[in-house]
Amino acid sequence: MRAFEGESVAAALFASGTRVLARSLKYHRPRTFFCMSGHCSGCLVRADGVPNLRACQIPCRPGLEIQGQNAYPSPDFDILGAVDFFFAGGMDHHTLMTGSRLLNKVANKVVRQLSGLGTLPGHDDAVAPEVRSIEVDVCVIGAGPAGLAAAAAAARAGAHVLCLDEQLRAGGSLLTDPRHGVAAADAAVRDVHDAGAGLIAGACAIAFYPEDAAGGVLAVAAPDGLLRVRARRWVWASGGYPVNLLFGDNDRPGVMAARGVGRLLVQHRVLAGGRICVVEDPGVAAYAGALAAALHAAGAEVERVAADAVERVRGRSWVKAVQLRTGKKIDCDLVAVAAVPSPASEGPRQHGCAVTLDPPRGGFRVVVDDDGHTTVADVLACGDVTGHLGPDAAAAMGARVGAVAAAEACP
Amino acid sequence: MSKIVVCRCEDVTLADLEHSVARGYHDIEEVKRYTGFGTGPCQGKECVAVVACALARLTGAAPATVPPFTSRPPLAPTPLRWFVRDPAAHRFADDRGDDADDGAAPATDEEA
Repeated sequence: MRAFEGESVAAALFASGTRVLARSLKYHRPRTFFCMSGHCSGCLVRADGVPNLRACQIPCRPGLEIQGQNAYPSPDFDILGAVDFFFAGGMDHHTLMTGSRLLNKVANKVVRQLSGLGTLPGHDDAVAPEVRSIEVDVCVIGAGPAGLAAAAAAARAGAHVLCLDEQLRAGGSLLTDPRHGVAAADAAVRDVHDAGAGLIAGACAIAFYPEDAAGGVLAVAAPDGLLRVRARRWVWASGGYPVNLLFGDNDRPGVMAARGVGRLLVQHRVLAGGRICVVEDPGVAAYAGALAAALHAAGAEVERVAADAVERVRGRSWVKAVQLRTGKKIDCDLVAVAAVPSPASEGPRQHGCAVTLDPPRGGFRVVVDDDGHTTVADVLACGDVTGHLGPDAAAAMGARVGAVAAAEACP
Repeated sequence: MSKIVVCRCEDVTLADLEHSVARGYHDIEEVKRYTGFGTGPCQGKECVAVVACALARLTGAAPATVPPFTSRPPLAPTPLRWFVRDPAAHRFADDRGDDADDGAAPATDEEA
């Protein structure tokens, strides 16, 4: 397969026509690309013998071997897909086959064979990662619009700054948004470098351990090993996750997060469909409109519908149409779901920060004051993790909060 | 018959949530344990807010009173080897404050 250097496996697979990658855990429904940002389980594949890797987070390289998983004989046709038909109304595994002790024993044996994701790795990988400790004044987690602005502002204020981003390429939602795009992301990254801050892409914060000595330690899986980061001030700028909306068969392949469709178009120059139906929450109408216009300009037919007008989608291995509550059917070969991104607040929660469920702003947002202070003394937050803002407002908040963090870290 | 999926990792549907609430499991931690939502590879990134909002609607609770379930490491799918360390190479004596006990004390979990 042909791919561009540094491109994700998911983008390359999509561009070359691969559609279904795997089957789901329980009903063996077809699974594939959804968020294109490493935050869902849609694109899990087996890569060079290692199971359950996210195709959107693997950079392409010559000779890399990718296989679908969790399906027999193949993800396109899987005999266990029959489970979905037999349990069309759902399955409560707590009460399934519990009537007879013998039957229950047999059922358990069968289910244990069937459950789980993927099969064991084909080889041992016993090499422990290199471990490095880093101490900085300000550590910014996330390099989207908010995090990049915060890192640049903190460094300009004289702080020693490290900014971390889990994606293969820094830029966050800028890379999914036709109003901003690759040039805007690269300019923001250049600004961080010019300001003198450190920036590592492909570096995923995997845990915060508050009980560790001297204010806690952030464990980071970086490309060249494990980082143990300590900082005087922490700035969470982890953004939001693309999520789905609730309508019938909303998990069908071809139903993708609008941001996933946006990332394919804006970052990878891949038009994900020819007839695209954008299903949108009114809270992100501006983004949905900009994306619809860009998809149309790229050559697709685009129709926008409100989320609460949608009954279900049609199609099994790939979406064929959106059916509205009125009975009207919109034929399409892609559904782009524009929901309000859900604040990525797990990290701040591990850090002890209070969150609150705020549905119009996407979910569990980190509670902050005007300067970005969370409920934990040395922890600040900015951007969509504090509730959906959108890239411009997130960047403005990031600049403000970065300066505050630097002033407190280096009084 | 279509399914409205709230958690794609574990195939949990909106009907499963309704069933859980009907059986008396209202609390998000109870619902997580009963349905298995949020326990797959994404660990709730895609579903925890969706489920919490649905639970607020189903139970009539004010959204601000619905907490998330506990967030535990790792924050992203991580090979186990990232959590393994070679005790000879990385003792992290600097983190223990002093290493006076090293060698004398029986091996702890940290050193095993």
